[in-house]
Amino acid sequence: MHPLFIPAAPKTDPGKESTVTRTTPTVVSEQTVSSTPATRPTSPGVPQAWSAWANRHRQWVFAGPAMVFVAILLVFPLAWTVYLSLTDSSGSVRRAKTFVGATNYANVLTDTARFWPAVGRTVYFTAGALVVEVVLGMLIALLLWKPFTGQAIVRVAIILPLVATPVAVGMMWRLIFDPTIGFANYLLARVGLPPQPWLADQTTALPTLMFVDIWQWTPMVTLILLAGLTALPEEPHEAAKVDGASGARRFWHVTLPMLMPTVVTAVLLRGIDVLKTFDILYATKGLGGGSFHEAETLNVYAYGLSFDYFEYGTASTVLILFFALIVAAVIGLTHRKKVTK
Amino acid sequence: MTPATTRTILVGVVSAALATSMAGCGSSPTGGSDGGSTTLYVTLANHVWTDKIKSAIPEFESQTGLKVELTQLGEDQLSAQYNTKLNSGTSEIDVMMFRPLQEGKMFAKNGWLADLSDDVTSDSAWNWSDFQAAPVAATTVDSAVVGVPIITEREVLYYRTDLLAEAGLKVPTTMDELRQAATTIHQAHPEVAGFVARTNVSAAVTQFSSFLYSYGGDFFDSSGKASLDTPEALAAYEMYSGLLHDVGPANVSTDMSWPDSMAIFQQGGAAFYTEADSLYTNATDAAKSKVADSVGFAQLPAGPAGSKPYNIPSWALGMNANSQNQANAWKFIQWATSKDMTLTIQQAGVPSARTSVWEDPSGISSYPKDLAAAIVASAKVGVGHDRPVVVQVAAAREIVGAPIVAGITGGDVAAAAQKAQTDFQAFLDTDK
Amino acid sequence: MTRRTVTSLLRAIGIAVIVIGFLGPIVWMILASLKTNVDIYDPSKVLLFRPTTANYATVFGQSQYIDYVVNSFVVAAISTAASLVIAVPAAYAMARFLMRKSANLVLLARVIPGVSLLIPWYYVFSNLKMVGGYFVLILAHMFVALPLIVYIMMSFFEQLPEELEESGQVDGLTPIGAFWRITLPLAAPGIATSTILAFIFSWNNFMFALVLSSAQTKTLPVAIFDFIGYASIDWGGLMAASVVVTVPIMAIALFTQKYIVTGFTAGATKG
Repeated sequence: MHPLFIPAAPKTDPGKESTVTRTTPTVVSEQTVSSTPATRPTSPGVPQAWSAWANRHRQWVFAGPAMVFVAILLVFPLAWTVYLSLTDSSGSVRRAKTFVGATNYANVLTDTARFWPAVGRTVYFTAGALVVEVVLGMLIALLLWKPFTGQAIVRVAIILPLVATPVAVGMMWRLIFDPTIGFANYLLARVGLPPQPWLADQTTALPTLMFVDIWQWTPMVTLILLAGLTALPEEPHEAAKVDGASGARRFWHVTLPMLMPTVVTAVLLRGIDVLKTFDILYATKGLGGGSFHEAETLNVYAYGLSFDYFEYGTASTVLILFFALIVAAVIGLTHRKKVTK
Repeated sequence: MTPATTRTILVGVVSAALATSMAGCGSSPTGGSDGGSTTLYVTLANHVWTDKIKSAIPEFESQTGLKVELTQLGEDQLSAQYNTKLNSGTSEIDVMMFRPLQEGKMFAKNGWLADLSDDVTSDSAWNWSDFQAAPVAATTVDSAVVGVPIITEREVLYYRTDLLAEAGLKVPTTMDELRQAATTIHQAHPEVAGFVARTNVSAAVTQFSSFLYSYGGDFFDSSGKASLDTPEALAAYEMYSGLLHDVGPANVSTDMSWPDSMAIFQQGGAAFYTEADSLYTNATDAAKSKVADSVGFAQLPAGPAGSKPYNIPSWALGMNANSQNQANAWKFIQWATSKDMTLTIQQAGVPSARTSVWEDPSGISSYPKDLAAAIVASAKVGVGHDRPVVVQVAAAREIVGAPIVAGITGGDVAAAAQKAQTDFQAFLDTDK
Repeated sequence: MTRRTVTSLLRAIGIAVIVIGFLGPIVWMILASLKTNVDIYDPSKVLLFRPTTANYATVFGQSQYIDYVVNSFVVAAISTAASLVIAVPAAYAMARFLMRKSANLVLLARVIPGVSLLIPWYYVFSNLKMVGGYFVLILAHMFVALPLIVYIMMSFFEQLPEELEESGQVDGLTPIGAFWRITLPLAAPGIATSTILAFIFSWNNFMFALVLSSAQTKTLPVAIFDFIGYASIDWGGLMAASVVVTVPIMAIALFTQKYIVTGFTAGATKG
């Protein structure tokens, strides 16, 4: 399989953890000294054989349980979903079903009423939210890069949206964006602008939800980019400064190229989650993404097909295609990451 | 010990051990669900009916020596859970509260609901024939009784007595009068909507259905042919969506289900509101409603075909076909739907399906007088469904609701109805 | 004014805008939870209103909210702990032995859409009679926590020099002993980071709990949802319920922000 996330050769990073590695050897040697005599005599006979075996195969003793856990919980549902996608299963998965081959795929891929619009919305939502999050995240990271007083407070301020429960966030914005009693329209009225329908209208609902996602997750991009900026070497920057390059030029020609791998990582991590966004969509627009399906992304559509329509064959087909889309996006970005390195 | 019991015990022990080791909190799974366990698993929706039953359950437990394990969930979660749990063939649900018209046909077809035909006729004192005909029809699928109706509802007109009095209007009895009155009040008070109702494509369908019948239409005719583009249907679509578009709340959204539209009415934001009668306490309870003192009720105004509100069972009690405890499950259903219990719950504001309770003067004495009159009148002329009676109800509602939301947002209702007709015919041809 | 002061003034304004932008809505939600519905319906009363705790009384009085808090806590704590036990050694092996294919399998769990898992899981575990109590819910949350922990811990273990373990082995420790006594203590900050993030993600999880929790194991995000649909929308109560679910997690975040930052940025700065 194509590597999804794992960066190549592990290298010691001169970044934040260096203090940890530097201070600990003393602790370690103390521990080693005290523990050595104790471990040896207490493991005779069979336990020792077991221990020797475990040590020899520690790679799999360590990795095995997690892999088995994931494999069991992942492989069966995946195989089952593939199977259902080839049948006309509906109503109950225990009901008699017929094998229909690729019929579901043909139907779904030619469905211009629900499927393709949902694909379009998923791509639009993801791309739109990601672009703004990266640009805004970068601006904020640059703003916070150099130390200043009150840094700690600002850090806290940008962490809070990140950890807030998405369903609660959805409810909060639902009230703020309420067309009649919401604070958003009150603000607009105060500055003399006409009220907006926000979440209520079929054209403005998705952009409004993008805004909510951007509010909650831009801080994550900021944090990643800040870590990247802090880890950058100083010299090229200084050299450019000496050459008389302006701030903007230095950013564009020196900082940004060096930061590119970090940007791609941020896009990768965020991208997967934006594609799979569910909580805020469901909390604000409900099943089907509103009366005109205006907020129905692939994830919401698949949930509705399963839990509202009882159409398991079609639901499974959509899920498999959705899964393929995510994996393709991840592989594409991982490839891009390699190129930028 | 038989091999089967050994296996049951083994599975029980192993799974309990697993649950304990994995979860560290040993909340044991159902384990022995052999016939006639003394624990009864009852799954109910969040509802006033449920609150009343819940407080009476200890009584049932001491009478029967059974232990009731009650699961109470919101509507969204309830349907998601039925879907997952019943799909797995669970026996962890014995008694289940469900919506006959929404999921009854589908559940019955899936083999999820037990056939209660013999149970309901087994006890003449409990008296199955006391239940109204329309609700009974809705809980009968392919001549098998799959549920006992517990809550019924009819669409009635909620209105503001103070606003009507101020404008010197009398309560509208026809759709055209309703429109006029709503317009008059809205013009006098631009901040108050003349009319409010559900606007979400799916949620609005049930409230629209009474309009449809009153204009002489229905979702499809007796031969199974879609009838959404008839002049009757078109007129109904235009009236319902037109009221909301022309004299509805400012910036009206198409996301409103009953909690949202009820909130607007409670806050004094609307003069007229068509909604299910079973929700009336939300409007008349002063703790929730700013307009509690000035709420009036009336039968749904008449269209060209007269006043034809729906009269349906919104909830019923059924039994999981896979329940290992069916005798006790029936005992619970019988107890919860007995005449006495039904009377008590109806007095608390939940309209029932029993004729005798409606005939009993104490059964409606707690209701506002105008509401009681409207209910009785509606029950006489009511139609037994409030949405297309099909298997895939959720999908059908989105199709037939499309012209409503088109109209609310100022779109072309006729074109939307034409499209809905085509889509719905295609849907009916494949609905299974 | 010099150019420098102008720049730093602009920067200060920018920072202030950021703080207000990100914190404002949360503060606003807390204020709304302290208002009567009458005040909520009057948007001009943003700051000037008579605060009331009635909404919190509704939240804690009407339903078994305390139980939901306990459920959320139990599920998050146990799924985090169980995930740590199997994920940390796995991350170590994957980092040390460069098991990239194995790591990708685990990380695939992060990519798959959750909707495709729910019905099959319940189907299997119900037929194994393992659906009582918290079991399936915890399993589902572990499925989220595990890849997260593996991802964070791998980047930690990759940064620990191998020489330390080797010196431990020279001193007579077995390789597993060296992992236990040397590597693990060194990875403590990483474990702390993983613990906090896994806990937060479990606490916030909605979809799995919506479908897999029972009335007895319901968690807070689902309980918020129950607030709508029971009666007409009670915005004050809904905001109070939202505050109840977010405030504990924000409090944790305040005290552990250093670890959270490390967690969100794990692996991001490597080439």
